[in-house]
Amino acid sequence: MFLALKEIKHEKLRYSMIIAMIVLISYLIFILTSLALGLAHENTAAIESWNAKSALLNKSSDLNLRQSLLTQAQVDKFTNNKNNAVIAETTVVTTAKNAKKTSATLVGINKNEFIAQNMKLSAGKKATNNDEIVLDDSFKNNGYKLNQKIRLNDSDKKYRIVGFTKNAKLNISPIVYTSVDNWRTFRGMAQSFGGSAIVSKASSIKNNDKTLKSYPISQIIEKLPGYSAQNSTFVFMIGFLMIISLIIIGVFLYIITIQKLGNYAVLRAQGISANVLVKATISESFILTVSGLLIGIILTALTALALPAAVPMTFDIPLMSAVSVGLLVMSMLGSLIPTRVVLKVDPVSVIGG
Amino acid sequence: METIKLTNINKFFGEDIARVHVLRDLNFTANPGELILILGPSGSGKSTFLTIAGGLQTPSSGSVMINNQEIMNLSQKQKDKFRLNEIGFVLQAYNLVPYLTVKEQFQLVDRVKKTGNLSEEKLNEMLQTLEISNLKDKYPDQLSGGQKQRVAIARALYTNPSIVLADEPTAALDSARVKEVGNLLSNLSHQQNKTIIVVTHDIRLEEFADHIYHLDDGFLKKTK
Repeated sequence: MFLALKEIKHEKLRYSMIIAMIVLISYLIFILTSLALGLAHENTAAIESWNAKSALLNKSSDLNLRQSLLTQAQVDKFTNNKNNAVIAETTVVTTAKNAKKTSATLVGINKNEFIAQNMKLSAGKKATNNDEIVLDDSFKNNGYKLNQKIRLNDSDKKYRIVGFTKNAKLNISPIVYTSVDNWRTFRGMAQSFGGSAIVSKASSIKNNDKTLKSYPISQIIEKLPGYSAQNSTFVFMIGFLMIISLIIIGVFLYIITIQKLGNYAVLRAQGISANVLVKATISESFILTVSGLLIGIILTALTALALPAAVPMTFDIPLMSAVSVGLLVMSMLGSLIPTRVVLKVDPVSVIGG
Repeated sequence: METIKLTNINKFFGEDIARVHVLRDLNFTANPGELILILGPSGSGKSTFLTIAGGLQTPSSGSVMINNQEIMNLSQKQKDKFRLNEIGFVLQAYNLVPYLTVKEQFQLVDRVKKTGNLSEEKLNEMLQTLEISNLKDKYPDQLSGGQKQRVAIARALYTNPSIVLADEPTAALDSARVKEVGNLLSNLSHQQNKTIIVVTHDIRLEEFADHIYHLDDGFLKKTK
């Protein structure tokens, strides 16, 4: 550590440039991770807020909530259990005076089932009849207000906003919570249809109906349109950035080490063991990475403060810590690249004549 | 008792037709309190001699005894420790770590060799003798060639080694400085009973040496 600290202190410009590289990489990784987490959260926020563990869908729906359709008889059969609740999903466009037209997901629920009963409101009250709706908080950013009347699609009927709720997003789209009756109206369904799926707090829903199948919620989340592809893209980008950071740290330290081989050879001739020099190289990598990460975290925090609410970013401290540890591990691996050269330093090379 | 005893040393480099016989049946002995000069032209094997005498390189054949210890029997780690404790090197180039101040060069030694180094009082005394006590906070690139060489000598002596091996210690110095370094090395060997071996081209150091050897085409011949 002594040699590493002294060298960094003396070669400020050289090491500042390496730290700057690490800052940029870590900043990019933190922002991408936050964005990945934010987008993932916007895909699944509603499902997670229901605290459901399984869902019953049509077998033919390919785990897609929007493609699943249950009859009223099927719904009645499963919703007599208080652990189960029906959801009825479709898409709508909302319009209101002085508010921005917004594409949304309409989710029909029954007011006496656990989704409605456990709903946490940020303002207003829960919907009690077919004229009332509860919206996701993000509608506020588009100019929607409590007690305002809004239209859904081209309906003549107006619905009153009676409440706003947090974490009501499905597939990035904000949710309009309303009754299953209203879902039938907007989907053009007859009374014989009861909803899209049954969600349950139990780990599976027992079922004898061959047209239906119970799936774990995690499987349904994975099958949300675009969800897996989006997450894989981010994971690959973050993974590649990690590998790039390993290469950058490794290459920079390698070049710097090559430039110092003469000094290291002298120290080896003087009896200073190769271990001391290897430790100095690894310590250098550690100090540079930790410094870069700290600055990267500060920059990310400042960015978080400056970002508008519309940007879907979630800053999760445990995940950031895991990413930081990942980067640190990568830089330690990178520092092993020049240690091979250090171990092979020949002290004889500095004695010439 | 001899501090260094080289017996029937041969050293070859390369193989087949490229094989070069650098040191030929070389025998050499050095005792405490002696300043020994090894003179010879470039390519005569001076550096090879120094590296073998310092345990940095093993001969192709022969025996290397340093302070009664057969150096060839030691592991790499033991050789490192042995050099750190028993031998001080003064090298022609890269003598000092460029990112450490003069003071820190000694602190580095303290970190890897916890005991047996010179006391602070003795270090200050030596720095004053070498006229570098006012350079403690300077980096090597802020020193002149002569100052660097004197710091390198101080650094080599800081571990209080019984043997000092110097490779062209006066290469960068003018005649006045050569005289100073010569006197210093002579005093060190005589007053502190150290064995000092200097390999050099510089015949200006001859007047300070107790013994002088000439190395030519791998043959070592004592001339004084």
